Amino acid sequence: MPHDPYQRLVNPFQLDGYTVIITGAGGAIGGATAEVLAAAGADVVISDLNLETAQAVADKVKRSTGRDALAVRTDVTSEAEQQALVDATLGRFGKITALINNVGWGEYTPLWEVSMDYMVKSYVLNTVSAYHLTKLCLPHLRKQENASVTFSGSAVGTTPSPEFISYSNAKAALLHMSRSIAAMSGPDLRSNSIVIGSVDNGEATLKAGYDPEMLKRLADSMVLKRRGAPYDIAYAFQFLLSPAASWITGVQLEVDGGGTYKSKMPTGD
Amino acid sequence: MSQNLHQLVDLTGQTALVTGAGAGIGRAIAETFAAAGAAVMVTDRTLEGAEQVAAGIRAAGGKATAAACDVTDEAAMAAAVDAAVAAFGGVTILVNNAGGGGPKPFDMPMDDFTWAYRLNVFSTFRLSQLCAPHMEKAGGGAILNISSMAGENKNQRMASYGSSKAAVNHLTRNLAFDLGPRNIRVNAIAPGAIRTDALASVLNPEIEKAMLRHTPLGRLGLPSDIAHAALFLCGPASVWISGQILTVSGGGVQELD
Repeated sequence: MPHDPYQRLVNPFQLDGYTVIITGAGGAIGGATAEVLAAAGADVVISDLNLETAQAVADKVKRSTGRDALAVRTDVTSEAEQQALVDATLGRFGKITALINNVGWGEYTPLWEVSMDYMVKSYVLNTVSAYHLTKLCLPHLRKQENASVTFSGSAVGTTPSPEFISYSNAKAALLHMSRSIAAMSGPDLRSNSIVIGSVDNGEATLKAGYDPEMLKRLADSMVLKRRGAPYDIAYAFQFLLSPAASWITGVQLEVDGGGTYKSKMPTGD
Repeated sequence: MSQNLHQLVDLTGQTALVTGAGAGIGRAIAETFAAAGAAVMVTDRTLEGAEQVAAGIRAAGGKATAAACDVTDEAAMAAAVDAAVAAFGGVTILVNNAGGGGPKPFDMPMDDFTWAYRLNVFSTFRLSQLCAPHMEKAGGGAILNISSMAGENKNQRMASYGSSKAAVNHLTRNLAFDLGPRNIRVNAIAPGAIRTDALASVLNPEIEKAMLRHTPLGRLGLPSDIAHAALFLCGPASVWISGQILTVSGGGVQELD
């Protein structure tokens, strides 16, 4: 018998028949994730605050995989827009197998110069929105086999990061929310998070207050000596959503070039 | 992007040395890696057990050969690595799966304590040392250590086994730094209770129910649950992941109390 690994091994990373909502999918990591999941056979819903970038990702998915993808403009801080995202997904694909709460935003802020209003806004965008969207998707997720919710955490949420006080606290809370959901929601829903290290996502990093010198120091501090590519994160999402991970819940997978164990955030001063 | 999905699970051209591969988790990893295209050096304490698994892989059209490797024996470890190099020209993946031990009373003889470390920790370090030069020669590689949730959990009678598995976890993190510059990634899986023959021998419905009381996903693990995570951590989908301990446990802890 000739050796054909692909016939013998039912590819455990395959996502045929999955419908996946990805928030913040107009960005580098979310966009790469949409492409990778679609290439693995999933129907993807690309949600972003900016419909143009979401549509551009959907077009790219279509070009590279031949699959239709749905682009939806969503302000995730709005309950009504979250409901519209769920409705649009069900209207188009009839189900939700997985939700990736990827949207998030943080920027450099001097430690003692954050207003209460800013802090609250950061929590609503980075943490509360993910809670509420998960709640909306829950009854639909529970109907699907190997259903999951996965959160985009950040290395700033696991190491002290005073220079990103609002963002880092919100991300730490998000990681804990993921573990709590895992503890209460099995056996018909898995909940995991990816602790994302410094990824080269183009302009977004520079907007957050980093300069090229800081980024070089970051890369040098990692075991694998490079900042991540969006696809490094996308493949980890694919794994955590797939049948290969069907007995994995409540974990936080650090995809960070081996950087988390050294203090690596520049102080910003 | 034109991702070929199969590339993510493709180990063609890789040579994997798997210890403790005569049964259970090690066997599932050896078979899965072979199905993904790797040449596999199947090792176990006795040659018979290893040879049976290797023969099964060959019969299914895969590449495998077998060697005896008692991982508490330094000469046997060196011989197994040499055999892999002789058979397949190198080693690019090492799975330190052999290990064991269990609850021991606090008053155990010192030899029992040392044995847990020789079996679980020293073997993992020495085999990594022996394989790293071959991986470096090939341009890089991946080491996967099969740890245990006992490396995190706290309990009575777990001083030897539990602390040795905690040592495996931290060895994983430290080796990631030593070997990262040589493009060798080092990760670990901490499995929960897996339905292997070894476990089945002590399982009954009551015990199983008790074990699942704190397991969100409501079932024991299968060897394939670990093998698929191993495939992810040793394959091309995880090239930016090193120094990580991945818990594969259905979300919980399978304990009897």
